[in-house]
Amino acid sequence: MLTAVKNQGKVTLLNIKYALMREMLNKTTFITNIVFMILNNASFIIQWIILYSIKDSVGGYTFKEVMLLWGIAAGTYGVSHFFFEKAYFLSDTITEGKLDVFLVQPKNVLLSAITSDVKTSALGDMLYGLIMCLVANLTLLQLFLFLFFCIMGGIILTSFAVILGSLSFWIQKADMVAETGNGLMTNFATYPDGIFKGAVKVLLFTIVPVGMVNYIPIKLLVSFRLDLFLGIILFMILGIIIAYFIFYRGLKRYSSSNLMNARI
Amino acid sequence: MRKYLFILKSEFMSSLQYVFNILFGFIGYAVILFVFFQLWQYLYSDPNELINGYTMNEMVWYIIVTEILWSSLGGRKFCTKICNDIKSGNIAYNLCKPYSYIGYALSSHLGSIIIKTVIYILLGMVMGFIFLGEFPAISISSIIVVSISSLLALVISTLLILMIGLFSFKIEDAQPFYWLYSKFILIIGTLFPIEFFPEIVRPILGYSPIFAICYGPAKLFVHFDFFYGLQVIGIQILYLIIVYFLCLCLYKKGVKKLNVNGG
Amino acid sequence: MSVIEVKNLCKTFRVKKKEKGLKGSFKSLWQPNYKKVEAVQNISFEVEKGEMIAFIGPNGAGKSTTIKMLTGILYPDSGSVSILGLDPKKDRKKLAYEIGTVFGQKEQLWTHLTPYDNFKFFGAIYDIPEKAVEKKIEELGTLFELEQFINTPVRNLSLGERIRCEIVASLIHNPKILFLDEPTIGLDPVVKENIRALIKRMNKEYKTTVFLTSHDVGDIEKLCKRVVIVNHGKLVLDDSMENLKYHYLNKKIVEAKMKEKVNLEGEDGISILKDKGYNLKIEVDTKKKTVADALKLLNPDNIVDINISNMPLEDIISTIYQGEDK
Repeated sequence: MLTAVKNQGKVTLLNIKYALMREMLNKTTFITNIVFMILNNASFIIQWIILYSIKDSVGGYTFKEVMLLWGIAAGTYGVSHFFFEKAYFLSDTITEGKLDVFLVQPKNVLLSAITSDVKTSALGDMLYGLIMCLVANLTLLQLFLFLFFCIMGGIILTSFAVILGSLSFWIQKADMVAETGNGLMTNFATYPDGIFKGAVKVLLFTIVPVGMVNYIPIKLLVSFRLDLFLGIILFMILGIIIAYFIFYRGLKRYSSSNLMNARI
Repeated sequence: MRKYLFILKSEFMSSLQYVFNILFGFIGYAVILFVFFQLWQYLYSDPNELINGYTMNEMVWYIIVTEILWSSLGGRKFCTKICNDIKSGNIAYNLCKPYSYIGYALSSHLGSIIIKTVIYILLGMVMGFIFLGEFPAISISSIIVVSISSLLALVISTLLILMIGLFSFKIEDAQPFYWLYSKFILIIGTLFPIEFFPEIVRPILGYSPIFAICYGPAKLFVHFDFFYGLQVIGIQILYLIIVYFLCLCLYKKGVKKLNVNGG
Repeated sequence: MSVIEVKNLCKTFRVKKKEKGLKGSFKSLWQPNYKKVEAVQNISFEVEKGEMIAFIGPNGAGKSTTIKMLTGILYPDSGSVSILGLDPKKDRKKLAYEIGTVFGQKEQLWTHLTPYDNFKFFGAIYDIPEKAVEKKIEELGTLFELEQFINTPVRNLSLGERIRCEIVASLIHNPKILFLDEPTIGLDPVVKENIRALIKRMNKEYKTTVFLTSHDVGDIEKLCKRVVIVNHGKLVLDDSMENLKYHYLNKKIVEAKMKEKVNLEGEDGISILKDKGYNLKIEVDTKKKTVADALKLLNPDNIVDINISNMPLEDIISTIYQGEDK
C-alpha cells in the first residue's frame, strides 16, 4: 500500500515536471505568459481604486483586505491551474476518448488525467499572490498561513473542477457546465462577501465553495479562529472524497456506456 | 459579398446545435451581472443618488449592455483560432481560395455568434428588468440607432481581435496581447462609463476602442440622444475603416513573410 | 495455453443522427435521433501464448471496439473476455501490468523528452526499480536498434524511429501480450519492413503474444500465422494464413502479352480482369479449367510474355470483405 502511494507520487511528480519542461522549451513565451498574468491581475487594481474613490469601505473590506482577497484568489487559482490544469479540461478528455491512454496504465486514472499538463500563466497567479502578501505586509506566521490556504484552496478548486468535469460522463455537453461553474468561482472570488446577502451568501459557503476558498481564509488572516480553520480542512477532505467518488462512478459508466460518438 | 453571406449562414447553422451551451453560458453572464447589481446596490446608499452623473439603474443598464457586447463576442476563442491558423500554417490554405481571409474570418465569426448575441440580448433585457423593475426610456428611433451602433461595435470588436491575432505572424504567440487588450476593455471599458475616470484620461479613453465598442452604444442605450447617436455611429464607421485597413496591412505583410519562409 | 479467450462478445452503440439543412439543425435540438450500431456481435476466439495474430477488417468493422474491450477500456454488453485469466472489467489495473499497447495514431511519448527519459517515465508508471529499467532499456535499445537516437528528443525523430520508441516504451514492463493497433501507418515501405523484422525478433526473443490490427496486408502477411477477420461487427473468418491462401489457391492470375488479340469472352472458368487488346489479365478457376487448358485457349505461339501467379492476399481479403457485403 505504502509503496503504491510512493510510486503513484513519483509518477505524478514526473508528470508535472515533464509538463513544466515542455512549457519551458520556449523561454520567451514562458516568461511573457507569467509576466502578462501578473499584469493582468494587477490591472484590476484600477477597478478597486475607482470603487474606493466612491466609498471608503466596500462590503466591509478595507482596500488592503481586498488586495489580500485578490492574493488568495490568485494563489488558489494558480495552485489549482498549475498542478492540476487538466482538471479544467476533464470534459474534453472524457468526450474525446483521451482517457483511454490512462486506462491502460496501472496508475490512478484521475490523477494521471489531471496532472498531465501545467498552465504556465498559473505561475504568474501564484507569484501575484505572493506580491499581494508583500503589499498587505503580512507577518511571517500570516505568510505561512497564507501559503497553506493557497494550497488548500487550490485543492478545493480542483475537486470542484473534477466534479463538474465528471458530469461529461452523464451529460453530453457538460463542458459548458464545467466552464460556467469554474468561471462562477472566479467571479465571486474577487469580490468582498459583504456585498452579498441572504440565499446567495449561503450558496457561497456551501455548493459554490468560494467562502471556504477565499472569504474564510481572509477572516482567519485578519483574526485566527481554530474552529473555522479545522472546518475548512474538513471541507477540503470532503471535497476530495466526493470528487473521487463521482469520477469513478462516471468512469464505470464510461466503460459500460453505449452512447458515445467517436467510439466505434 | 454573397460568398461571405453564405459563410455567415453556414456558421450560424452549425452554431444552432450549441443553443444549449449558449443558454448555459448565459448563467456565467448572469452571475457577473448579479455581482455588479449587488455591488452597485451596496455602493448607492439611495437609488436616486447620482454618482458621476449616473443613477443606480443607469449604472446597471450600462453594464448590462457593455457585458452583452463583450460576452457574446467569444473573443478569446476567436483569437486562439486565428493564432493557431497562423502558427500551424493553415492560413496558407486560404491563399489559394477565392476569398479574402479577413472577409472569411469576419463573416464566419459573426455567423457563429449571431444566435448567442440574440439570446444574450433577450435574456439580458429580461434580467435587467427583473433586477431593476424598469427599462430606460425607449423609442423607435432609439432602438434603431442603438441596434446599428451595437452591430457596428460587434464588427469592430471582431476586427480588433482579428488584428491582435494577426500579430502571430510577427511573434510566436499573440495571446498575451489579447489578454492585455481584453483586460483593458473589460476593466476600463465595460465596468465603468468614461465619466468615472480622472479628467486627464477621459479624452484618451474617448479616442480608444472603448468608445467605439462599449461606451458609445451603452451610453446611447441608457441616455438616448439622436444627434449624439449619429456622432457615435460616424466615429464607429471611421474606426471600422481604419481597423480593417490595419488588418489588411498585417495580413499582407504576414503572408509575404510566410511565402519567403516557405510556410 | 490460451492467453486470450473471448466468448460471444457483444457491444452495441447508439449514435446521434443529424438531419440536413437548417430545419434539421433545429429539429435535432428538440428531438435527437438515435441510430443503433452493433459494433461487435457475438465474437468468439482464442489466442495461444506466443502467437502473432492479425485482427483485421475494414474501417468501422469493430476492431477498435474489440481491442478496447480486451484492454478494459470498454465493458462488453454481454459475453466474456479473459486475458491471462484476468477479467479486464474487474482487474483493469492488474491487467495493465501484463499488457502493452501501441496505438499507431495516438502517441504516448512526451515529444520534448528523449526516448531514454520517456522509457524511464514508463518504468515509473509500471513500478520498475531504477536499475531494472536501465537494464531493460539497454536490452530493448539493442534489440530495436535505438542506440543512435536514444538521447535525441522524440520530436526530432522520424516517424519510423518514433514508432520503434513507442513499441519499446510499451515493452518496458515485460508485457505478456502486446496490442499493436496500426503500427506501420504512414511509414514508407523500407521502414515498414524494418519494423516488421523488429517485431518478429521481439516475438522470438520474449515469446510475447502479439495482437495486431492493420490495414496493411504486408504487416499481416509477414508477421502473422493466423488471421481473424471481422466485418460489420461479426467474425467472418478465423483461420491460419496458409489456409486462407489455400482456399483461394484454386484461383490463378494469368497476365499475358499477346501477338494477336484473343477473345475469351464466355469461356467457363475464366473471368477477364483486364483486356487491353494485346495485354490480357485473366483469373482462372482451376476447379473448372486447368491452367494448361487456359493456356491452350491463348495459343502458346501467340504469347510474347506470360506471368502466372496466385491471387494476392490483398485481393483475397477484399474479396472476403465484399463477399460479406453481398
